[in-house]
Amino acid sequence: MKLIRTDIYENLKMALDTLRANKLRSFLTVFGVMIGVITVMLISSIISGVDTTVKKELESYGTNSIFIIKFNSGIHIGRMSREERMRKDLTYDDAVALTGLPAVELSVPFLDISNNFFGQKIMISGPGKTSAAIAIQGTLPDFERAGTQIVKEGRFFTQYENDNNEEVAVIGSSVGQDFFPYGTPVGNEIEIGGRQFRVVGVLEKREQFLLGGGDDDQNNVIYVPFNVARKLKPSSNDVYILAVARKGMMDEAQDQITDLLRVRRQVPFGKPDNFGLQTAELFLSSFRSILSGVAIAMVVISSVGLMVGGIGVMNIMLVSVTERTREIGVRKAIGAKRSDIMWQFLIEAATLTGFGGLVGLSIGWLLTFLLRLVLPSYVPLWAPIGGFVASVGIGLIFGIWPAWKAARLDPIESLRYE
Amino acid sequence: MSDATLTSPAVEPVVQPEPPRPHDAGSLISMRNIWKTYEMGSEKVHALHGVSFDIPKGEYIAIIGPSGSGKSTLMNLIGCLDTPSQGEYWLNAKNVSEMDDDELARIRNQEVGFVFQTFNLLARATALHNVELPLIYGGVSSAQRHEMAKKALAAVDLTDRMMHRPNELSGGQRQRVAIARALVNHPSILLADEPTGALDSRTSMEIMDLFERLHSEGNTIIVVTHEPDVAARAHRVVSIRDGLIEKDEKSR
Repeated sequence: MKLIRTDIYENLKMALDTLRANKLRSFLTVFGVMIGVITVMLISSIISGVDTTVKKELESYGTNSIFIIKFNSGIHIGRMSREERMRKDLTYDDAVALTGLPAVELSVPFLDISNNFFGQKIMISGPGKTSAAIAIQGTLPDFERAGTQIVKEGRFFTQYENDNNEEVAVIGSSVGQDFFPYGTPVGNEIEIGGRQFRVVGVLEKREQFLLGGGDDDQNNVIYVPFNVARKLKPSSNDVYILAVARKGMMDEAQDQITDLLRVRRQVPFGKPDNFGLQTAELFLSSFRSILSGVAIAMVVISSVGLMVGGIGVMNIMLVSVTERTREIGVRKAIGAKRSDIMWQFLIEAATLTGFGGLVGLSIGWLLTFLLRLVLPSYVPLWAPIGGFVASVGIGLIFGIWPAWKAARLDPIESLRYE
Repeated sequence: MSDATLTSPAVEPVVQPEPPRPHDAGSLISMRNIWKTYEMGSEKVHALHGVSFDIPKGEYIAIIGPSGSGKSTLMNLIGCLDTPSQGEYWLNAKNVSEMDDDELARIRNQEVGFVFQTFNLLARATALHNVELPLIYGGVSSAQRHEMAKKALAAVDLTDRMMHRPNELSGGQRQRVAIARALVNHPSILLADEPTGALDSRTSMEIMDLFERLHSEGNTIIVVTHEPDVAARAHRVVSIRDGLIEKDEKSR
């Protein structure tokens, strides 16, 4: 045991000497390994960043929130089936009916009127700006109780205003900044589809997912009373529902909602639901299944890099064995066993790739700092450890053949080698 | 292999070897009826035709012979780099002829100190580290290794050159480092293969003087050479020709 330990330390010293003596060659050899490790570092940190950001984003919608849509929930890939596209809409009445469920705290319908009946964007204009790129949603004042949107200034509209078709609006923070650059928007008017709405409240700014902006800007939104929206777009039934479960009753709420909607939408027994429930948790798990696919792709890509690097290492080690045939002969003459020579070259290969791994880790580390400028991310601990272990492992695996060739050299022949 | 290829072809030897005696337990080296046969394609070539001799401890012996005589083959066998095809080789009361690779490596490490014509030092290592090398393979601890290597370098008067690399040393100094490396493990034999072949005559003299001194200190020295001057310094000369011992004479 003591012998082995001495060997590793001595061999490490020798390997570092060899590395120093052939700087350029060593660097070029381990380039593939470096790239592989950099890839691992970067992609793992991107995945971690996207994961935490999405998680935070989803949690801001409330962990007790359940979104109900007429389509299947989850992340869609490809076209929807004909059955799914032909489904009947959810209705205002559905939303009201859900309110009566014991596990449901509240339930509000949303009607998207960003596009008019003809599919054109509705124009919005205020003192500062005229634009069509704003999401307009009709909803009920109960929405405020869901806690996902907080009124920063003014108030939410009331049930009375909804019932009396009053043209009032609660606007997102971006809308407030863009359309009312001077002074407060509250009490002022904003024109939506040719009608004058009175702004009664401005919402607090929400955290953005990635860089956000454009149509995806969570703050670029206007909420109007549901009845008013219905009047602006009488034929539309593009309703989705936000239900909030009572505390600790998330599972019960989902079961009750599913049961009730199956009855209301006349789903025959044994047939799948013709609607979808979406929760932060569900979305996160389906999102994570995509992320894990990306992670597997990453492992494959960086493995290819590491393999290519490994072949390079094997090549250079074979050259090194040939160059040092005489040295091997001398070592054997003065008492090196086959295993000693084997270890020497294995450790040399592992040192070479391990060094490449360390350089890759440092470069990857720097790059993740740059990444953090655009994506709040961290490097998961397994990435540098795994990267380093993999690069050393590559050296050990691809060093086996050259080391074995060195170990079985005949000492007499080797000593005579010129 | 050049020696072997030039040796007489695969006819059975005309000269019958002396009848094998049991090995001499008192000798450091005891070779009994050693054959070495190489297969060159379908042909068998005998490099040694049943060689027997003894070397007592503390002897200074030269092995001479023209190229192709089997001299190098004999040296490789004595140095435990190779095993005989037939016959028994006892080194320091151990039967080397039946050892496997790892056991041979251990014997080379403990019992044999090699000195080569071209020194064969590690170019990137200091003189001290070169001398430590056999101790590393012998499993000696780092601190002890240092001490032993320093002592061995002092014995060849290189204390002030310990931290120099081979390319910073003269030929004679390099050969002295190599001798220190050969002696550092206190081996049973010092086996030198043309130790002065790469040196000028003045430096050769120095090295031969050093051998003489080492011998007087009790070391067993075997020099393989084809230079009569070098052989003349030894106290016993064994001449090899065509794979057999031609002459074995004590000069002093």
